[in-house]
Amino acid sequence: MQDSSFELQRLLGRTARGDRAAFKELYDRTAAKLFGVALRITGRRDIAEDALQECFIAVWQRAADYDPVRGGAMGWMTTILRHTAIDRLRRLGSRPEGHVASADQLLTIAADERADSGAELRALRRCLDELEERPRQAVLLAYLYGMTREELAVHLATPVGTIKSWVRRGLERLKRCLDG
Amino acid sequence: MRYDDPELRERLAAEYVVGTMPRLARQRLERLIAEDAGMAQLVAQWTERFAPIDQAAPEAEAPARVWRDIERRLPIAPPPEPGWTGWFRSLAIWRGIAAAASVAAAAAILYLALSPSLPPPTVIAVLNDDGGKPSWIVLRDVRRADVSIDAIRSIADDPARSLELWGIAGGPPRSLGLLPRKPGEKLILQASLLPPPGGVLAISSEPPTGSPTGTPTGPVLFKGDVLGRP
Repeated sequence: MQDSSFELQRLLGRTARGDRAAFKELYDRTAAKLFGVALRITGRRDIAEDALQECFIAVWQRAADYDPVRGGAMGWMTTILRHTAIDRLRRLGSRPEGHVASADQLLTIAADERADSGAELRALRRCLDELEERPRQAVLLAYLYGMTREELAVHLATPVGTIKSWVRRGLERLKRCLDG
Repeated sequence: MRYDDPELRERLAAEYVVGTMPRLARQRLERLIAEDAGMAQLVAQWTERFAPIDQAAPEAEAPARVWRDIERRLPIAPPPEPGWTGWFRSLAIWRGIAAAASVAAAAAILYLALSPSLPPPTVIAVLNDDGGKPSWIVLRDVRRADVSIDAIRSIADDPARSLELWGIAGGPPRSLGLLPRKPGEKLILQASLLPPPGGVLAISSEPPTGSPTGTPTGPVLFKGDVLGRP
C-alpha cells in the first residue's frame, strides 16, 4: 500500500460526509495520477478530461459506498476512472492511430523494471512474464488500454471466443502465480 | 446467472477489473457488488493485483477547467452566517424543541425562533430515545442539497463507545457515519444518502471506530421516521 493510503481513506470518508474541502484535497492528491491513466486508456486529452471529471463526480456521489476493509482508496478510485474512461471512449471516439503500443513494448509499458521499481511491480512483472505470449498480450492490452473483447479480436486478428479463453487463462495463471 | 460458484465469481471479479466485461454485464455486477461483500472483496483483490501498473503510469496535470467543472456540479455551499450559528447555540430553543410533543410543534418552534430573513429549515426527522424524548434533529437548509444532524439535548457521552447513524429503507441498515463527539460539531450528509420518506433513521452505540460489520452491533438508542422530502 502507498504510504499516503490512510490519508486518502480519511479524505474519502470526509467526502462521504459532504466535506468539500476534503474532496478538493482528494482531487489535488490523486487527479494527476488518474489523468495519466485516462490518457493511457484513451490516447485523447479531450476524452480523458471528460472521463476525469465524470470519475470525480462519481467519487463524490459514491464515496459513502467505499469500504476501507475491502481495499485501498486509490484502487477504488482507479477502478471508477478506468470504467469511466472506457465508457467515454466508446461513446465519444476512438484511440488515435499508433497510440496502442506494439506487442513487444507492452510489458515494459505496464511493468518497467527499474532500480526503483517496488516489490509489487516486480512480482507482477515476473508473473506476467510467465504467461503464454498471446494470453499475456490480451490481458495487457485490455488493462492498459481498456480494449473490449471485440477490439482485442480485431487487434489480434483472432475470434472473440479465443480472446475470451486467452483472457480467462491468463488471469487464472496470473492469480496462481501472484498468490502462490 | 448463478453467482454462487466460486470459480465463476473469481472470473467475474477478474474480468470486471481488467475491463473486458461488456457494459451491461458490468452494471449487473456492480449491483451485485453493492450487496455481496464477498464479491466486493474479490474485486478489491484483483484491483490490488493490477494496481502496480496504474501506480507506474506517468502522471499528467489536468487543466484547471476540469476541477472548475466538477465544483460547479457539486451542491451549492452557502457562506457561513453568524445568525445561523447563533440560533443553533440558543439553548432555550433546544429545550423548547425537546419538550415539544410532536414533530410539527418542534418545526413550529424552529420556524418562530428564526429571524424572518432566514428561510426556515425543513425538518427531515426527529429521533427520539426509547423513552420517546426528542433527542436529535435532522434538518435541511432549503438552499443546500445536504442535511445536518444535531443533538437537541445533552446526550450522555460514553468515551468508550461511538454513536453511529443508520438509514433504513426497506432493506438492511446502511451506515451514514459516526456522530461527532465534540460539542458544536455537526454531521453533514448529502441528502441523497438519506432514506426516502417512510424510511427510518436510527442511532446505535458502537465501538469507537464504528460498527466493524457494516450493520449495527450495539443497541439502538435513538430512532425516528423520515418525513417530508430530503
